[in-house]
Amino acid sequence: MSLSDLILAVNYAVLGYFLLLNGVYIVLYAISFAEISEYARREVFGGLSELFTSNYAPPVSVIVPAYNEEATIAESVRSFLALRYPLHEVIVVDDGSTDGTLEVLVREFELHESDQPIRKQLETAEIFAIHTSPSERLIVVEKANGGKADALNAGICVARYPFVCCIDADIILEEDALLRVARPMIESSEVAAVGGIVRVANGCEVDSGRVVEVRTPKQAIPVFQIVEYLRAFLAARTGWSVLNCLLIISGAFGMFRRQDLIASGGYARDTVGEDMELVTRMHRTLAEAGRKYKITFVPDPVAWTEVPATLRVLRRQRDRWHRGLIDTLLRHRKMLLNPRCGPVGLLAMPYYFLFELVGPVVELLGYVAFVVGLLLGVLNLEFAVAFFLAAVCLGALLSISAVFLEELRLRRYPRWSDLLKLTAYGILENFGYRQLNTVWRVLAIVSFLRKNTDWGTMERKGFEKRKPQVPHARRHRPNKMKGGT
Amino acid sequence: MRNLGFVELAVLVMVGLNVLMVLLTAGVKATRTARLAWYRRHIKRIEPALEDYIITGEDPSELQALPPWKRDLFVSRLIAERIVLLRGSGREHLMRLAELLGLVDCYLTGLSSRRRFRRARAAEYLGYFGGERIVQPLGDLLADPDETVRAVAARALARIGTPQAAEFLAKTLNDPSELTRLRMAENLDRIGPPAIEPLLDIIKYGESRARVLAARILGNLRAAEARPTLQQAMLDGLLTDLRAQATLALGKIGDPDDVDELLVATEDEVWPVRAQAANALGMIGDILTIPTLQRLMTDREWWVRLNASRALANMGPVGERALVEILEGTDHFARRRAVATLEAGGITRRVGGELNAPDTKGERARHTVHAIIRAGATKQLRRLARTMPEGEDRRILQEMLEEAGEP
Repeated sequence: MSLSDLILAVNYAVLGYFLLLNGVYIVLYAISFAEISEYARREVFGGLSELFTSNYAPPVSVIVPAYNEEATIAESVRSFLALRYPLHEVIVVDDGSTDGTLEVLVREFELHESDQPIRKQLETAEIFAIHTSPSERLIVVEKANGGKADALNAGICVARYPFVCCIDADIILEEDALLRVARPMIESSEVAAVGGIVRVANGCEVDSGRVVEVRTPKQAIPVFQIVEYLRAFLAARTGWSVLNCLLIISGAFGMFRRQDLIASGGYARDTVGEDMELVTRMHRTLAEAGRKYKITFVPDPVAWTEVPATLRVLRRQRDRWHRGLIDTLLRHRKMLLNPRCGPVGLLAMPYYFLFELVGPVVELLGYVAFVVGLLLGVLNLEFAVAFFLAAVCLGALLSISAVFLEELRLRRYPRWSDLLKLTAYGILENFGYRQLNTVWRVLAIVSFLRKNTDWGTMERKGFEKRKPQVPHARRHRPNKMKGGT
Repeated sequence: MRNLGFVELAVLVMVGLNVLMVLLTAGVKATRTARLAWYRRHIKRIEPALEDYIITGEDPSELQALPPWKRDLFVSRLIAERIVLLRGSGREHLMRLAELLGLVDCYLTGLSSRRRFRRARAAEYLGYFGGERIVQPLGDLLADPDETVRAVAARALARIGTPQAAEFLAKTLNDPSELTRLRMAENLDRIGPPAIEPLLDIIKYGESRARVLAARILGNLRAAEARPTLQQAMLDGLLTDLRAQATLALGKIGDPDDVDELLVATEDEVWPVRAQAANALGMIGDILTIPTLQRLMTDREWWVRLNASRALANMGPVGERALVEILEGTDHFARRRAVATLEAGGITRRVGGELNAPDTKGERARHTVHAIIRAGATKQLRRLARTMPEGEDRRILQEMLEEAGEP
């Protein structure tokens, strides 16, 4: 076989791979479309207001890991305590902060030391003390530094209620988010975990820990991520959830049945993708135990997060996410094509191995083969242009469809300008942004092979306040407090 | 390239699909905006006629002239919105209007629709203006295969709120969906006293899950007439959850005559019942139960100790003294709980501010602080000394800590 033939073969292989991948996406979109339509119609009769005042809804423990959050922790905790839910406690796990996080909490919420026993059902770093507020709705766990997963495990041990909701300290939850995300678990005891949609807060106006006006940001990078998030959450996760193949619940916002979480061993402390690893392990544990279970995703309960606004930070985040994905897939490789693991083993794992893990390599190979093919004259220009357009158009179609789905059923962006902007960015992301992501993910594979377990720092600018304020650096999360969406 | 034609076609299709999707997105938004304006325009036109009818109860001819689809779309909603706000003649007029416009019959037919959202919508509206005659069809809907429909039917029955409606709801307390059970319970709670009788039947003859929920609802309804049944469930029930819920319910009802039975429950072999007994005794607040609560403070289960300590803290100065006595006892866990309770209830801070008070008040405060020091809880007192205002009280507290060997 000559080099030309090889290049041509690679191009065809990549084209086939690419069509197969998009075929999978189209199926997922179709499923998601039906599911979100059903969800939106059911919401009309949801009767959430009656549940808000109910004495009968199962109580929830909200777990918030915190490391050096002195500047914002009091406001965050107030907003979590003010969530509308019949009965919930907030557990802040101070993961060995070196600033005044604990002192701020003690002072602001009149905490006192509690004698509450800790059921050490999960491995954690040493817990020094438990502090509670007079109402006992706020519990603060004082512990040695051990990272985000370790802090979450400590929170799970301390939690008193059957449902636990794990969230990031810097997330903004909508008032009724807890009830919406808890609903599938209340509906059926088979539901072991529920993920909620995470949206991009950059550009939105925030007042007293609440998003009061939804807008798209002015910077391009966060807008690209809005489209990405819509695609990932609305289209992909909803579809996988219907098939009971959801492999990830965002670490920023997810609810779990405590007993199932403990039975699965809690969060792994030695991975950079603890959220995906946990959900995959839950699938494995529950499936191997022969349990009839469901891990599901609800498209509406909204958590708002600030996403990276610079390429440098975004690259670090994507690098970590991809390393986390590789690590999880390799740890649980025995699930691949394992009929005992049900649809996760037969559908999700092959998809993740074939398209998510290897995908960036194949895509990059495609670009290289494409350019080399052109240079060698193996591909004629018309084919090349057509190939590229088809690739771009299909990518754009998937993004625009996600925006369409958002507008049709969820309607979070009320302005015409925002809608048009998102549509335009759905097209534009195929010219550079997507390729950049591909390169970062390939580099992440290299980084993983070099056994890099670094978390990277996530720099945040802070949310836009309703009243103009001097912007401040909201987060400088060090390596020890690990996390991601 | 033999496939060139195919690729070009694919590109064309893709471009076409993209354009279509963009148009669809914009179209959806535009349609919604236009529809909303259209809806508001119609509502604005119909509202005055409806308001007139609410006041006079006469001549609904303008409303009767509306085509059925407009009655269904606009008038039903307007009636539902207003009926929840009205009492007396205005409400009666609206109920009559719904009958006159054929809305009740229309939605009764809707209850047997093959489309579940249509059934749900019909049930929702009938709950507002269907009246007692639709209790039976709504009750039948509680067996609907769709959870949403069952939930809406339950809500509608609760709005009607008759004993027959309560009976239907009580019978479905054993629904397989936890959410539905919860909703039934919530709606029975809303119906209030008419629900008591059917709930008592459930406690006696129902299935386990339903019995537990029924006990809980009766407690929330403060149903005094349920006391004998609850006492029996508390003392003789085979189910732990039922015994615990019945115990709590008796506490919520708060009749001092139940104290003897509750004292028996404090010796139950399972801790949830003991914990709820402590809780219930705290709710009743009989000071004669203090020795029992003190005993429960030494229980091996933290939840029992927690509830007992809370109960004591809620009993005022006598309860506080009982907690101080615990501090002087030998049980380490009870002492820690007492310290936490005194601090959580702001009692430690308060006595800290009374150290310099004259007579027995100051003496008692100093005694409490000594007891806390002896219980080994100097950390809390040190924090208090750091944060309390400058003055004599602070000086005394610091001196007491120094005497105890604490800087």
